[in-house]
Amino acid sequence: MTNKTRHVTYMGLALSAGLLAGCVQVGEQSDDEPDLTEMSAEEYAEYLIFESNSFKLDQEVQEGGTARERMQQDELQRLCSDTRNRPHGEVANRIVAMARESFEYPEGGIQLGDWEKGAELARSGYGYRIGHNYDNPERTVGGNCYACHQMDPEELAYGNIGPSLSNYGELRGNTEAVRRFVYEMIYNPHAYFPCTAMPRMGHNGFLEQESISHIMAYLLDPESPVNARKVDPDVEMDPASAPAGDTGF
Amino acid sequence: MIKQWLVATALAASVVGGATASDSPYLTGREQLMMLADNNPAELTEWRGEDLFHEPRGPKNVSLEQCDFGLGPGVLEGAYVQMPRYFEDTGRVMDLESRLIHCMKTLQGFTEEDDPIARKHSSDTREADLTALYTYIAAQSNGMAWDPPMDHPMERLTRDAGEVLFYRRAGNMDFGCVSCHSEPRKRIRLSFLPVVSHQEEWSKAVSWPAYRIGHGVVRSSQHRVRGCYYQMRQAGVKFGSDASIAILSYWTDQARGGEATLPDLKR
Repeated sequence: MTNKTRHVTYMGLALSAGLLAGCVQVGEQSDDEPDLTEMSAEEYAEYLIFESNSFKLDQEVQEGGTARERMQQDELQRLCSDTRNRPHGEVANRIVAMARESFEYPEGGIQLGDWEKGAELARSGYGYRIGHNYDNPERTVGGNCYACHQMDPEELAYGNIGPSLSNYGELRGNTEAVRRFVYEMIYNPHAYFPCTAMPRMGHNGFLEQESISHIMAYLLDPESPVNARKVDPDVEMDPASAPAGDTGF
Repeated sequence: MIKQWLVATALAASVVGGATASDSPYLTGREQLMMLADNNPAELTEWRGEDLFHEPRGPKNVSLEQCDFGLGPGVLEGAYVQMPRYFEDTGRVMDLESRLIHCMKTLQGFTEEDDPIARKHSSDTREADLTALYTYIAAQSNGMAWDPPMDHPMERLTRDAGEVLFYRRAGNMDFGCVSCHSEPRKRIRLSFLPVVSHQEEWSKAVSWPAYRIGHGVVRSSQHRVRGCYYQMRQAGVKFGSDASIAILSYWTDQARGGEATLPDLKR
């Protein structure tokens, strides 16, 4: 809410400056513009995003609307940014409560899909990128799980920002409680880890229900290589010795 | 053999340079990078940039030798490690790349549409003049300590706003720069990530231009910022925009005192 109010203030500032100067030059500041040094760092950052012509805000995006909406923070994003991802006390409680309220479950209950499709989705980082390139909206959106998690123990190109999920189903089983937890973690992990780095794959509409069911199968199906391979947990693999894959980063 | 040499070098470095060098996977985790470190293809780019810099070019047929990068016209040594900085003549905080474009316009008479300015990044088939010039000028600060000026209020505000942007999460993946660059020893897939609070890692990480082995060309800091916003699924950041310079200002300030490797070699 405060963001919106601020935003309106800048629009006013920018507008009046625009009227005075006749035309605000892209990237060049003139004496007629608002005194930027009067702004706080937070105000100037918002000004930079929305008023300084720094971003391609008018680009259309596949979820509808424009890139401008992508830059506008919702409450969760704002709370986590303001607390630098270390929310305490009431803020953390608020985040957890909001996440719990956000859950929407698939009709007919949480079911496992096809782990082979899940394996592909877990490896794919495709989807929703905009700017100088544009991901084709017709192509299936990936979950990009391997960017941050180990899953199949034989896949060496895994990241470690998140915990290892190798043998996830083998260790926890495939009960309804486990399925529900995994679904909720994918849908909105802030219910369990407020201000986690993990995206709200379900809540943000990033992954479709069907894709979530395939990725869940990859994690929980006993036939999936995530669970079917036995690896000595004491032997640590050296990721630096594996061939480099193009992650796109 | 090579491995033994690497281990010996790493040990020697940790003895000479202090305790932190050898335990950073970002700095030491990729053997092929360490092996290539003395043979950086970016030198070819730097040499081409030197020729371009001194050559009379553009509609006005003059060289860039009178361009002021903050330390006076034509002074290149140490100029880049003291950028971004505020310039009175434009009333803006500028990074090296936007300052170069400013001089190519005002001194040489090039326009935004002319290829030397329009071509912001190199491709497989064509190296951008801008990248070559940027590499040559940056190389004149090799081995120096990052030291961006914070005297002007706009320099401080720009850095502070850059810090806000660094921690600002948005977009449909909820990411901010902080998502990848706050915890030590983390990787995306196989790529070790530099951490903003680790001065040694960070001063190497912000050492652009760098020859990127995976791209086969030299890349710039503007290219890195663009790539991060792209991967974060946030709006495309414009080349040389005030927001991009705010990010650069914050990240250079975080590297303050650390050694610049110019040009660098990256994965």
